[in-house]
Amino acid sequence: MPRSASDGGAPRRRRNRHVFWIVPLLLLPLPLLLDPYQQYVVNLALVYVPVGIGFNVIVGNLGLLAFSNVAFFGIGAYSAGILMVRLGLPWWVALVPAALSGGVAGCAASIPALRGVRMFYLAIMTLAFGELMRWVYIRWEPVTGGSMGMALPTADLFGWALDSEARKFYVFLGLVLATIVATDRILSSRFGRAFVAIKSDELAAAAMGVPTNRYITLGFAWGGCVVGIGGAMYAALIGHLTPIAFDLTELILQFAIIMVGGLGSLVGSVLGAVVITAAPELFRDLPGFQELLFGVLIILVILFLPRGLASLLARLHPVFQDRYYRG
Amino acid sequence: MMILSQLVISGIATGMLYALIALSMTVGYRATTVVNFGHGDMVMMGAYVMLFFTVSAGMPFLAALALAAATLFLFGFMMQRGLMEPIIKGPHLSLAIMALAVGYALRGVARIEWGNETLMLARPYAQDAFMVGAVVITMDDLVISGSVLLLLLALFVIFNLTPIGKVIQAVFQTQRGAQLVGINVPAFHCAMWGGGATLGATGGVLLALIVPLTPDMGVWTLVRGFAAMTLGGFGSLHGAVIGGLLLGLMEKLLGFYASTVFIDISAYLVTILVLLIRPQGLFGRHATLRV
Repeated sequence: MPRSASDGGAPRRRRNRHVFWIVPLLLLPLPLLLDPYQQYVVNLALVYVPVGIGFNVIVGNLGLLAFSNVAFFGIGAYSAGILMVRLGLPWWVALVPAALSGGVAGCAASIPALRGVRMFYLAIMTLAFGELMRWVYIRWEPVTGGSMGMALPTADLFGWALDSEARKFYVFLGLVLATIVATDRILSSRFGRAFVAIKSDELAAAAMGVPTNRYITLGFAWGGCVVGIGGAMYAALIGHLTPIAFDLTELILQFAIIMVGGLGSLVGSVLGAVVITAAPELFRDLPGFQELLFGVLIILVILFLPRGLASLLARLHPVFQDRYYRG
Repeated sequence: MMILSQLVISGIATGMLYALIALSMTVGYRATTVVNFGHGDMVMMGAYVMLFFTVSAGMPFLAALALAAATLFLFGFMMQRGLMEPIIKGPHLSLAIMALAVGYALRGVARIEWGNETLMLARPYAQDAFMVGAVVITMDDLVISGSVLLLLLALFVIFNLTPIGKVIQAVFQTQRGAQLVGINVPAFHCAMWGGGATLGATGGVLLALIVPLTPDMGVWTLVRGFAAMTLGGFGSLHGAVIGGLLLGLMEKLLGFYASTVFIDISAYLVTILVLLIRPQGLFGRHATLRV
């Protein structure tokens, strides 16, 4: 009986969402219009879309304060890099273990959450995990190349070398679409509803029979997996991995993506990745200004736009509204 | 035996610094039950402000220290008043990221103003070393441990023997109750947050005497402060001190007898293991949610 009120509108809105398929179609001719540097920036934004999505699933949808996203990102990037350099695997093969190792790292990071560590305790612990991983990249020199980093061979897809920014763009666009669609399916399924329940009131969810621990692990695993894919894309884009790319500065960047885009919103993750990746390119040669800009930007968003840019869009048209988020 | 006592001496000196930093974080946490993720950068800022007053303004050491402490008090006060208080009823996530973002902006300011190269704070005393038996004690060890001990004594008096200590205890136990008996809780929050920043700045100045100063030292500081706090138990004042001392000793002893890697990773391991095995630490309260 109460179905009609909440679920009745859902199929129509789902149909509306097909509008979104126009966006990648419009993007297809983009490489013809941009010079290689601009194309590189666009590709970087594409790399950060899965990173933002995975982060947002854990922090925004599941509502857990996990600061370990940079660890997942680094683990994905280094898994792909190590497999390519040490074992000579092609990039598209290394992509799978990179995603898997990101997922495994996600499961590992969910262990403290399962033991009841929450809020600041979880944040501190996952922060320590991330810093520990960075130490591993530096110290495990025979495998990771130490603090000097590791140069990677050119990435390829089934033997098709991704040696230009335009080629990377099309492959990245495909991967990004796949992660967006898959995450959207997960979040609008019973998993997503369980996430909402856990976020709103974990005790009540458990009392209603939601196996909270299982869903928390699942959310972490999916988040880690998606971020791991982002890491592998990063390895393919940059072609050189250094531990300094995975420090606390990177964490703030990723926080900026989900905060500015909109917590718990898939549209927000995409928007945030685009805005946050494009902005610092303006300040590339001015050390410090980028940090100041991000810091102030996040502060302003928290104070005046707590649901991020996605909430502005949702005001324009309901198609941008996320069904699986209850603020 | 000689090596052991030497290690214990330097471990205590380092541990005293960690204790002060953990304590400064605990003061803010006890007042607001909000953990300040930007605290490491406030410590860093304290040291840079000190550098500004001594080098650029040419002030004597102690006057500059007082001014730096006052500057950071104001900063902490205003941060709590203007940025944390408006969202303090909101989710923990916003509070944590707000503090993180403030710290990040501070790091940007330090980098714009002072650049990336490492700077040293000039010691206001001669860099001597004394032999006690076969053990070397440096002037740095003495100054740092002495200053921290003095601060600890002052804090002990404030927390236990003055009316301010009673107010602090009251707000920590129940905010609503404290409000009912007429305590201005928001103003108290601001003052305590400022007090934490002041203590942190003092820690930063002491740290800058022995370690080169960079805009990125905040993370290092934050991780060690968290480790000491976690080990001692969140919110416990004597826990923070003991946790800091234990962490300092652990780094030195494990670093020498087991492997040098422990100098770097003790803090991370302590944080992770303590929260997994005994989340309330040595002296803390219950810290986990049971579903």
